[in-house]
Amino acid sequence: MKNYLSLQGKHVLVTGASSGMGKVFAQMIAGQGARVSLLARNEERLEQTRNLLEGEGHNVVCCDLTDEEQLRQAAKTMQPLDGIVFCAGINEFVPVRFVKQEKIDRMFQTNYFSQLLLLQMLLKKKLVNKGASIVFISSVSSLMGVQGTLLYASSKGAINSAVRVLAAELAVQQMRVNAICPGIVRTEMLSATNIDEETFTKQAAQYPLGLGTPEDVGHAVLFHLSEASRWLTGQCMVMDGGYSLSR
Amino acid sequence: MDIKEFIENFASNLNDTDVSELAPETAFRELDEWTSMMALATMAMVSEEYDVELSPEDMRNANTIEDLFNTTMKLKG
Repeated sequence: MKNYLSLQGKHVLVTGASSGMGKVFAQMIAGQGARVSLLARNEERLEQTRNLLEGEGHNVVCCDLTDEEQLRQAAKTMQPLDGIVFCAGINEFVPVRFVKQEKIDRMFQTNYFSQLLLLQMLLKKKLVNKGASIVFISSVSSLMGVQGTLLYASSKGAINSAVRVLAAELAVQQMRVNAICPGIVRTEMLSATNIDEETFTKQAAQYPLGLGTPEDVGHAVLFHLSEASRWLTGQCMVMDGGYSLSR
Repeated sequence: MDIKEFIENFASNLNDTDVSELAPETAFRELDEWTSMMALATMAMVSEEYDVELSPEDMRNANTIEDLFNTTMKLKG
């Protein structure tokens, strides 16, 4: 039977590839036969991820996404891409009364501006092949109203809007742009946020299918990158184990 | 930094509880309006007013306002 999720012969960039979801996605993508370029800040952890990948020809791109000059250098060294997964992101719970410009800047710089800028650079340099699939990892928070998530949710909401516009602009080159909006997935990023375990356990109880794993989201990433989704663009797929159904 | 000022800062996150109802030995989780959001707001208040970061564990280990004050003092060194 044909493997509809095969990524054989493709070259895929994964940002935020040194940990959490990005690290798992990179392994799954390589497992489908693609060459993967891994982008993140920490070279040592990137190398560790690379060592976990099946196949040959994977690249490590050490780059701080929030530094425009480093982004420019990274874009310069990139080989043409058939897929991009924007996975780098941070999260911090900040009640509105404690929002500060500095916190807004940090969240939006990492979760939104840097991804847009990198995409712009890659497109300008014609490093995104015709027919490429671009996948943003958004969040179901962007569609909900969870207390304390103002900055995170709105940075992801910006992605949801960008996806539709980019899809419209890039369709002429047969490029597709979509987002996945996962619910809570246990990753290092989540452990690093200031959410307490009690709140976390309460949240888990609100997921009819339980909390997700990075692999659950990874399967959707594979679908979005593969030819199986060639007629899908401009969409934000909610993937949350039923969390948002009764809200 | 004294505990009176800390209690005033703590109270600034509350809507239904007057500062006069609070004392160092107040078990803050027993306040009617206490929610997990208040825990986040308290951490944010400490970060803003005292320039140190309380961890979720610090919050969990504290029972009274004085516990929070003491942890904050310790973090400030």
